[in-house]
Amino acid sequence: MTVLDNRAAATEAGTGETRDPRDPRTRLEILFDEGTLRLLAPADLSGVLTGVGRVEGTPVVAFASDPRIQGGAMGADGCEHIVHAYDTAVRERVPIVGLWHSGGARLAEGVESLHSVGRVFAAMTRASGVVPQISVVFGPAAGGAAYGPALTDLVILSEQGRIFVTGPDVVRSVTGEEVTMARLGGPEPHSRRSGVVHVVTPGDDEAFAVARRLSVLLGHQGRVRPGDVAEVDFSPLLPENPRRAYDVHPLVDGVLDEPGVELHPKWAPNIVTVLGRIGGRTVGVLANNPMRLGGCLDATSAEKAARFVRMCDAFGVPLVVVVDVPGYLPGVGQEWDGVVRRGAKLLHAFAEATVPRITLVTRKAYGGAYVAMNSRSLGATRVFAWPTAEVAVMGAVAAVRVLHRRTLAAAPEEERAALEASLAAEHEKVAGGLDRAIELGVVDEIVMPEKTRGAIARVLAQTTPARGAHGNIPL
Amino acid sequence: MAEVHAEMVGSVLEVVVAEGDVVGGNDVLIILESMKMEIPVVTEEPGVVSKIEVAEGDVVQEGDLIAVIDHV
Repeated sequence: MTVLDNRAAATEAGTGETRDPRDPRTRLEILFDEGTLRLLAPADLSGVLTGVGRVEGTPVVAFASDPRIQGGAMGADGCEHIVHAYDTAVRERVPIVGLWHSGGARLAEGVESLHSVGRVFAAMTRASGVVPQISVVFGPAAGGAAYGPALTDLVILSEQGRIFVTGPDVVRSVTGEEVTMARLGGPEPHSRRSGVVHVVTPGDDEAFAVARRLSVLLGHQGRVRPGDVAEVDFSPLLPENPRRAYDVHPLVDGVLDEPGVELHPKWAPNIVTVLGRIGGRTVGVLANNPMRLGGCLDATSAEKAARFVRMCDAFGVPLVVVVDVPGYLPGVGQEWDGVVRRGAKLLHAFAEATVPRITLVTRKAYGGAYVAMNSRSLGATRVFAWPTAEVAVMGAVAAVRVLHRRTLAAAPEEERAALEASLAAEHEKVAGGLDRAIELGVVDEIVMPEKTRGAIARVLAQTTPARGAHGNIPL
Repeated sequence: MAEVHAEMVGSVLEVVVAEGDVVGGNDVLIILESMKMEIPVVTEEPGVVSKIEVAEGDVVQEGDLIAVIDHV
């Protein structure tokens, strides 16, 4: 142990260029503000190094695998260090960051290592919803080292990171399938298909930068200063044609003080989930993205959104929900994918959330998807609508085609279109339209696009902070 | 080479590019009508349109090939 300590000190004394980038001490030093790392236990042969430090002044606990010792595999001693780091983070109520590069449980230690890895999982679950947990995966994270990050709130994958339960050798011997580590669990599958990873970065430097940003967003949320919130006129961002889809990202970026950190950007891209700040205070923004699947909710996007809502609620992060949703995506594929079961998660997540949550309807809010997107009925703190908004079960024309099917069929063909239009106008007056929504109290206020940021900031400043009393199961 | 597939069922309202056209990233290839909305289908990366597999009025299913883009 002493020998190792001396070696670590010797490398540390060298210039920055000679530092081994895989050395866990190097990684912890890069994560923390310069000179703030204090080790929780001396370096040893356990394959894990733990420490406390600061990120932009905010205290954070972290641990790092040592890939130079048995490939970073986790044994009883290393796991003990991680559990101790978790105890420290929970006691101090500070975020914890795991820097992963590990082949999984130590084979040589047999069942003892399995038992230890399981104790790490239990510690993570006890800390769930209590302190923010962030994982960064730099190299292989296999087996137990895959489920470690997966249990945490946010997972960042660097370009060389690989997350899988069983590696290519096992896959080949069991199924005969030839597959690379990258195809099994690299950036491509995890960013688009599996939803395991929240952020993929092109390199390690960027991975550290994102981990630092997320640590501060969740660890130091700040207070809203409505006076600092400059207005932006969002109206040029909506296409003139109300049927035309558009990319919602510029709108989300504009609502925030500066572009935030988008989570799961390529997985279920029909809903956008971003952590950022308004008036200096951390918020979570959810927005339908009409550019993808028309902005429809579907099974995967509902699940992605539900997990985001529950994470924000668990850490007291207020929500801003930007709604432009034509409905739930119909089809056999969706029903068989469990759009009912997985869609119910979003209803549950919003209905249980206690954080301030503001809804802004920009264009369409139709049907079941209207309810799911933080409607008044689910307990929205405040519901704003732009003058362009429509709140309805479905579009007026579609509605009268159902409601007045017989009348329309009986009308002479040349009069049918005119009749349909007049019935639709009548229907809109009675059943849909913004006026009715305000009369019912499901929309509180019409707000102009150029007054939106201030309106949101004022609600955030007025509401009492709250936080859900629940964990953050990786839905 | 990148294949662009339909994300959802819909009918082709407009084919915006032709085979041989040079496209940038995020350029509109076709406009799909679905869920009573007009949804542009865009490129991810720049390249040359080497194949357009759909025509105006076609109905495409989720996963159908729309276009092939050769990266230069």
